[in-house]
Amino acid sequence: MVVEKHVMFRVRGGLDFTCQLDRTDESYVKQTLGKAFESVRSAVRSPSLVFGVQNSPVFLWPNRSLQATRQGVTENTTCRELQQHIQINEGDSGKRSSKKKDKKDGTTSIINVDLLTEVTEPVLCSAPMLFRQEGKHHFVKMKLPADCVVSAHMDETIGDVCTHLVEALCTQLTNMEEVVLRHRSGTSLPIPEPFHFLLPEPVGLITAVYPAGVPDTQLEPVRKELHRRLELPDDRSCMRRANAYHFPDEPYRDGYLRSPHLALNHPSLEGTKLYLVQGIYSYHHYMQDRMDDNGWGCAYRSLQTICSWFQQQGYVERVVPSHKEIQQALVDVGDKPASFVGSRQWIGSIEVQAVLSHLLGITSKILFVSQGSDLATKGRELANHFSTEGTPIMIGGGVLAHTILGVMWSETSGEIKFLVLDPHYTGGEDLQVITDKGWCGWKGPDFWDQRAYYNLCLPQRPRAI
Amino acid sequence: MGRGYIVDDSVEKYLVSLQTASLSSLTGLLIGQSLPQRDFVVLAVQTPQKAKSESDPSERKPVHSLCDIDTEWVTQHAKQVSWTLPGGLSVLGVFLITPPDLEKEAQNTLRRLVFSVEKLISKGRLWSLNEDDVSERVGLHICSKTRRAVCRTFDVQDAKSSAKPADWKYQHGVSDSWLVLKCSVELHVRFPTPDITLENLEKSTKVSLQKWGNQIESSICLVNGVRVSSDSELISGQKKNTKAFPSNLRAQILIHNVRKEVRTCASVQVCGGVLALRGVVHCRAYIHSNKPKAKQAAEALKRDIMNTVSYRTEMFFEDLLMSEADGERGILGQKQPLPQRVFASVPGAGFCVCDYMFPDEGTAEVKERLKETLDCDIPEEEVDLTQEVIAGELLLDLTDSLGGGGNPIDPLFNLKYICLCWTVGGNPHKHGNHTHTPHKLSRGCTSTTSRNPAIHTVLQCHLHLCSFYSLCQII
Repeated sequence: MVVEKHVMFRVRGGLDFTCQLDRTDESYVKQTLGKAFESVRSAVRSPSLVFGVQNSPVFLWPNRSLQATRQGVTENTTCRELQQHIQINEGDSGKRSSKKKDKKDGTTSIINVDLLTEVTEPVLCSAPMLFRQEGKHHFVKMKLPADCVVSAHMDETIGDVCTHLVEALCTQLTNMEEVVLRHRSGTSLPIPEPFHFLLPEPVGLITAVYPAGVPDTQLEPVRKELHRRLELPDDRSCMRRANAYHFPDEPYRDGYLRSPHLALNHPSLEGTKLYLVQGIYSYHHYMQDRMDDNGWGCAYRSLQTICSWFQQQGYVERVVPSHKEIQQALVDVGDKPASFVGSRQWIGSIEVQAVLSHLLGITSKILFVSQGSDLATKGRELANHFSTEGTPIMIGGGVLAHTILGVMWSETSGEIKFLVLDPHYTGGEDLQVITDKGWCGWKGPDFWDQRAYYNLCLPQRPRAI
Repeated sequence: MGRGYIVDDSVEKYLVSLQTASLSSLTGLLIGQSLPQRDFVVLAVQTPQKAKSESDPSERKPVHSLCDIDTEWVTQHAKQVSWTLPGGLSVLGVFLITPPDLEKEAQNTLRRLVFSVEKLISKGRLWSLNEDDVSERVGLHICSKTRRAVCRTFDVQDAKSSAKPADWKYQHGVSDSWLVLKCSVELHVRFPTPDITLENLEKSTKVSLQKWGNQIESSICLVNGVRVSSDSELISGQKKNTKAFPSNLRAQILIHNVRKEVRTCASVQVCGGVLALRGVVHCRAYIHSNKPKAKQAAEALKRDIMNTVSYRTEMFFEDLLMSEADGERGILGQKQPLPQRVFASVPGAGFCVCDYMFPDEGTAEVKERLKETLDCDIPEEEVDLTQEVIAGELLLDLTDSLGGGGNPIDPLFNLKYICLCWTVGGNPHKHGNHTHTPHKLSRGCTSTTSRNPAIHTVLQCHLHLCSFYSLCQII
């Protein structure tokens, strides 16, 4: 049992923003927007702001010396004690998370907090009045999507945490103000949206605000600046919208399993090192999307898994292509005749490379082995691939296609094991079955047909942020 | 089977007291609280006389035929009555007293009246009945000769349904130990308006109030710090025979701040002006004391919040349109007080009714109106003016806003000017149908603000300390 030491508080809500603009010159707009944002910050600091701890009866007033609704909850209550008031419905989490709890991944738990405003018990009383102001102008209104995360130690008091949350909200509002000013055009103001990114230590969880409606490609200078400030590599995408951290309590809504290999216990092989795919991908296999491709679609599915990797790391915006779209792409590049579309013909690594290039603009290297037994000697190449590119590999040979997600390789002994994702699975998205039955699992060199020849498609990661 | 109506014996006394000349009919309203299983009727009010005769105000024009009953007059009266009812109380139906021979037609008349009353009362509301609400309304027929009462209910959501029989039972002290949920709600509604005509202003106000009403309806209600859920009882751990109910039920309303629609940029409206509704309104709801459900009490309170704001704005615009019709220009100044809500305890009952007082009125007018609308004699000194602040008083308590208790963040209080609303005194001016004497100084005070007596003795001068820019900050 992992004793959790940290907890993340995440507060989310839509904050009302209104402002009246009757001119569009720079200094006037800046000043007016500044005042409007200041009044939103005031609302956040006001005594009527309430934090509602989700799945619990606890409501907190951070700006009223932490008044709370629950007896016994005060500003000195620790986070650990607060957690005891939270009850998560067992029905909401699927089989996936109950399995995850026993795994070693030691996820930090999340406490979600809603932003509420109390309208009763006003600080001051005034008579109800109707105020009127005449004058033509533009009335601008939007809801700012506040989303702040504060990490806390279990023994920290919630009094401190709430102070940090209010500060974080105010800081985020200031960032939002900058983004709105920078990206506005005339009286059209983009809505500033926060995104969280989990970056390798020492950076950790960081939040960036991007203007809605402005695509990632146009925001490259913004990201360049962020990469520079945070000392992130300048050739790897870390802060595109697609790279946003997926909180453990937020299920993916498209129904696909994400990175099932993370649920595995990796075997220990003496002297070997682990080289794995870097990043998130979706598991694509037979029979999904109501497409019966049993017996012929394995390479297509492996290709889909690879496409999902590029999409989820933010390198492409294109959604994962369907079988038909894959076939059409091959017709478009002249590789196949028009009759290919709608057929049940197999494809191989060369076709995978062609489609990756044509639809996603991704280049790939092809690795050829004349017999399956030779794969055991390719440890160095594969290890290098996973270290530098980190993309999933499609392997086709004999009559089968698979996806390789990693290797366990010893430089000295040459011992090797392959982490294989099998697209021939025809069941439902059940992580337990998939990992138990080895549809995603570690295979030895004997897994490959020792006498067949194999082609591997190694997609190359674009050097861009 | 059918519904059960538990009626306070004061209602019986009242109905008996209604003398009718032979061969004439009388209509009126029945007021109380509806529960899933039964209703409590706590007040009955006869429809007032339409045209007051100059000589004898108490002389009633006898109604001989049921066709003479003016449906529109009855429904207008019902609307006025509904404005006096706090949360938890509503018009449950209509009663009709007729001579014996009209008994059969009486059912048709009752049906007509019950449906029309319900229709007018629900018009303009910011909320609508949901599946938990009872849609049955009562039509009570009393024979003036035999005093026999026949009680039937009509489903106002189904115009084709037939009347169902219901039980009418008298009981003592029905509302005696009723509980009350009170709160003061801060209003903060601001919206653009297209241009300055009154109809347009009224329309935009209605639209924005509906949005605000939806927020209130979907808000979280806490009673004594506990969130109201669908099954919880209002008073937990209530022992069977105890009479000691908690006297203070503290209600709090928390509005969700959610981002509903996903847009990429702010909405921009070209407008000719901005209207803002600000201030604090006092709201309350009554709930019966026999294992009341928290959800019902919370809903009654939320509806009262929505009602009091929509009634007031309706009243306000009506009044303004009337003065326009009177030949006076409908003056919608930059800052207009809405009518103040005052309460009065109904003699012998466990609840209060309310009225709305314009700034230039006093308790005498309130007493008069309550007598006219509710046929209720409430002594002037019983009128409680203290629940809301009257415009004309100091809006800010300077020591509170600059001293402790959090930051004076709200721009209203951060301002360079103090809203001291004095008016030019000594000139009687027409307000609607009444001619008023100079504005009375207010009585009473809210318990939260401390008062500076010096300001109160001052006279009358119209002060606009603020610049227009500062006024923008308020809005």
